[in-house]
Formats: sequence, C-alpha cells, structure tokens
Amino acid sequence: MKAAAFDFSRASDINELTALKEGEKFVAGNQSLGPMMNLRLVRANRLVDIATLPALRKANEHSNHVEFGAAVTHAEIEDGETPDPANGWMKKAAANIAHRAVRNRGTIGGSLAHADPAADWVIVLTGLDAKVALIGPDGERKVNIEDFITGPYTTVLKENEFIASVEVPKRPTSACWGYWKFMRQVGEFAKASATVLIDQENGFYRCALGALEGPPLVLPRPLDIIEGDLGPKKAVEDALSVRKIASYDMHVAALERALEQAKEGLRL
Amino acid sequence: MNTASTTITMSINGREVSGNAEPRTHLADFLREELLLTGTHLGCEQGVCGACTLMVDGRQVRSCLTLAVSCEKAEIETVEGYNRDPLMAEIRDAFKRHHGLQCGYCTPGMLAAVYDLIRRHPEADEDIIRRQLSGNLCRCTGYAGIVEAVKDVLAGNTPEATVTPGPRAFIPITEAKPATGGEESGEVVRLETGSSLSDLPSRAQLSEGIELIRSLDLDVSSDAIWQILKDPQKVVSCIPGASLTSQTDHNLIHGVCKVAVGPMAATFRGSAEVSTNDEALSGNVIGKGKDRLSRSILEGCLDYSVSANDNGGSSIKIKMLYRLSGPLSQFGRPAIVEEIADQLLKQIGVSLVEAATGKTTASNSHNSVGGISILLKSLLNILKKRFDRKL
Repeated sequence: MKAAAFDFSRASDINELTALKEGEKFVAGNQSLGPMMNLRLVRANRLVDIATLPALRKANEHSNHVEFGAAVTHAEIEDGETPDPANGWMKKAAANIAHRAVRNRGTIGGSLAHADPAADWVIVLTGLDAKVALIGPDGERKVNIEDFITGPYTTVLKENEFIASVEVPKRPTSACWGYWKFMRQVGEFAKASATVLIDQENGFYRCALGALEGPPLVLPRPLDIIEGDLGPKKAVEDALSVRKIASYDMHVAALERALEQAKEGLRL
Repeated sequence: MNTASTTITMSINGREVSGNAEPRTHLADFLREELLLTGTHLGCEQGVCGACTLMVDGRQVRSCLTLAVSCEKAEIETVEGYNRDPLMAEIRDAFKRHHGLQCGYCTPGMLAAVYDLIRRHPEADEDIIRRQLSGNLCRCTGYAGIVEAVKDVLAGNTPEATVTPGPRAFIPITEAKPATGGEESGEVVRLETGSSLSDLPSRAQLSEGIELIRSLDLDVSSDAIWQILKDPQKVVSCIPGASLTSQTDHNLIHGVCKVAVGPMAATFRGSAEVSTNDEALSGNVIGKGKDRLSRSILEGCLDYSVSANDNGGSSIKIKMLYRLSGPLSQFGRPAIVEEIADQLLKQIGVSLVEAATGKTTASNSHNSVGGISILLKSLLNILKKRFDRKL
C-alpha cells in the first residue's frame, strides 16, 4: 500500500523540534514509521525529517559514558564508527538488528521512541542501564531507560518533546555481558529476549527480560540470579506474576542462555 | 489532500536526473513511475521482502521505506546501473551459472544485497552468507543457487567494488511544501445497517483463534453488576472509545470503537450478537469489526459470567477467542493485545462500578483510549458484545 498524503520538511535547527503542530511527526530512518504509514496504520499531516540534524548526529565519549545522538544509525554502531562504551557489546547487538538495509537507515533514537517491546535497543539499552536525554519546550531532562518506556509503543515523551541522545555507561573490560533473543527467523522481531550484565568492578549487576507485552522487565535480585541462588525460572516466575503473562518458557530460556554467555566471559 | 509535489534531483546510475514527487512517494515508486526505471521491484512495501533493495550513497536500503524527497542530491545505484562494474558483472554471471534466479522477482534486491555482502564480508562462509541475505526473500530457488553463486564469487579473484559507501550527506535545510490537512482523516462515518447474523463468525471458525482469559473483581454485588452487563447500551458506555450506533432484533448490535496504541489509531465498526442468561448471570457475544483505513478485521467471541465473591462483591470472568487479520495484526502480537486488554479492563471495571452504584459514568467518553489498542478492541467487543471491534 501507499502512505496517505503528507507534507515533508527537513528540520534545520534543533529548536524547531519543540514547536511541532498537531498531526506532525518526526521521522529519522523511517524504518518503523514507514511500514506503519505505508499500511495506513499511521497518518501524519507532516513529517519533519531529523535524520541529518547535526545536533542529533553526534557520538561523544565522556569520562563515564558515551553519548549517542538520536540520529546515529544502527549500521554506524555496527561498523564501529562511534565510540564504544562497553567492550563491543553494542556493536554486536547492532549487527543483529533486522537486516543491513534496515540498519543503514534506522536510528537508535527512533527505535526507542517507537518503543516496540520486541526491539533490540529497547532491551539492550535497558540491560546496559542507559539514560535517555529528552528535550522539550521546558528544557532538557534525563530519564532512566527503565522509566522511559511505559507500554507497547508508548513512552514518557510528551507533546513536542524529542529524544536528543542516549547515554550508555562505560563498562570495564572485566565486565561480562550476555544477550540472547529468540526469533522465528533471522532479522525478525524477537519472541523473547534477555540480557545479563555482570560488572564486579562497579558492583553493578542487571538481568532484564525483553519482548514482553510491555516495557522490558528489570529482574529483582540480579546477583542471586547470577550466582545461582535464584534459578532463572523462579526469578522470572516471581517477577512476572505481577504482569500476568501466560507463557514465559521462552523468556526463561533466553535468560538462561544470556546467563551462560555472561558467565562464559567470567571464566576467561 | 492536495500535497504539492516537488522537484527532486538525484544521481541515478551515474546520471543526474530530476523528477517530481509528492512527499509521500517512496524512492521505488519515484524510480518506477516517474523515471520508468522498472528494474526495481516492489513486493511488500513494508520493508520485509527485500525486493526493492538498492544502493543509496553506496549503502543498501529498502527503497519502499526511503522517501524520495529525502534523497535530494543522493547517489542511487539501481539494477539498471553498475555499468562496467566488474564485481557486479561477476555476481550476475555467477547467478546465471548457479541458477541463482528463476522468476527474477527478488533478483534486483538480491543483487544489491549480495554486492554489499561481498564488500563487507570478503571472508564470508555459508552461515554468514545466509544470515546476511536473510532480509531478501526468494520463493523460487530455495536460496541454494544464490548461496552457491556468492561462494563462487568469493572463492575467485573477487574484483574491487566500484560502488562504495560515501560519507553520510548533511543536506542544507529546505523548508518544503505548504501544510495541508490530513487526508482522509475526516472519514465520514457510515453505519453498517446491512449486517446480518450471517456476517458474524461462527465459534468453529474462531476455534483456531487466540484465547484470552481474565477476571475482574468489583466491589459491587453481582446483581447490581448484572443489571449493567445485560444491557448493551450501558456496557458500551463503560468502554472507553466505544459507542453503539444501533441495536436491532435478536440482540444484534452495531457500533464503533476507537482505539489508539502509540502512533497507531484505528476505528473499528462492526456488529455483534449478544445473548444473555439472566439465571446464570452469564452471556456471550460473537462479533466482527473492521477498520476501514487499515483494512484490518477483528473477529471474536466472548463468554462472560458474573459470580458473587466472599466479601459481598462480585467477579466477572471473561473468556475470549479472537482473530485479528490485516495489516494491524502485524503489530498486534498476542502479548501486546493482552497488555492492552488489561489496561482497558481496569478502566472498564471502574466505569462498571460507577454505573452500578449510580454515579455518573465517567466515560461517556467516546474519545479513543491511548495505549489500548488492538486488544482493546477485542475486549470491547467482547464486553459489549457487540460492536465492532477492531484492532
């Protein structure tokens, strides 16, 4: 199908972005919005292209984190054109997002704003304890990734607010990471996913589940899960009882495999 | 909507070309319809099949998900190009020798993906080849011939690629066309007066559907809740975004339900048949609704029953079987529908209690509910039984 008609303009200045009118939408890579528009599930009066805004096309290394501009593409991260906060883990995750043709245009900020529960960055950035920097008419605010997504395709972004950048904490080389996703076919959205982060140097541990019905779930008692005192199945069961998910076998298996990957790193 | 088209200039296969395109025109349509370069094929137009893959500034992209207006000054290489490119010549020859194509529909996209694969993974083994080509669907070859062709090119003295990724362009801003209204957004609501029972799905047809079971505990007696539940009008008024358009004999209801999830919004119009059993405090609804804009259909059946619980309150048990088809179903995965249903149920529970206790129903609200969506609709249907549902 073809998209319903809309207008198009290219933003020239970041300040224009906080003055969107009713029915206007940002577009960067168009890899999530595009299909929805082509299927006419989404209509817009105007698309404002932010893919080439210099302010969103940065990737800065700071002492404790790396700041990825919202319009950095998956392929740029895959190809190592951006600084690496965490032992190549983001690079590897980026390389397995959808297909190369999609990665060449899709952006990290766009993926988060779209907030598909099964998307890679949604779970990976949660696993890495990222922060999302938002700019709105009232200025900038930073939101922890686990507070950013509130439901399927739903975030805390307000009217006229946009994602400026994503801040990913740096991890020492001694830290270990596991990320597993189950897909029906290579490149498809995940059916279940999980991450495990073991950063002993900073005393930071995180186990997270993705591809749930809503936002990723950061599991309580991560250290107990990692050390084996709390089995993956029990951990998921306890945490999900609140969320009423009917079947979580694949999520348990994804967590088990992510744990295996991360612990593999520990032995090295 | 009258969206002005603009003139776009880009380099296609090494030649500068200008043409007119509306903002909504994607690159593949621009090439095919405006420039008559029909070598670029369109399969799904939603980024799944890979048939439209081509090079923009030396990088493979889906041309169905790339707006032509965003390609101003870009360098495009289509299957008609690669003139005198030794690598593409070798790939084409290998495809021919290894039967890497049959009907040829996927071939233009496949060639672009293979070209990029060989450039980026000169050491690729079969596993890498298959993974890298997983975004390009071929229904004829079983991929074996394609993989063999790629291996063959990699095994030999692979020629240098002449199409290489350029720096990512930073284009000076141009303010485009004057704003126009959102086309088709003000669709005229037509009542579906022609629905008859025979349009509704049967239980047998829904047996392969997705099942959703929920219960809702309320602080109101079961009798009071039943007074609401047996009246479709009242139930509908408790459902955010839903309204009844008409009610005919044999409990056939027609209605509308608006739902919005994230950027998606749908208006399901449809009919449902409701039957209730006053003695058992139970009922069921079978219905079907359609969202015209997305051409998506939601159909399902809902069984519900009310029982008293220990503390003087009541609980409503709901079992629904539904089937969502059409474009929306791609975004309405069962888990997401469950989440939406749960959110919706919470709001419906509050409204039911208000209605049963005589307080004004908070939701006369025919506004659509954010965050609920697909499931919602289904639930709505269920609940209300009736009306359309949708998404």
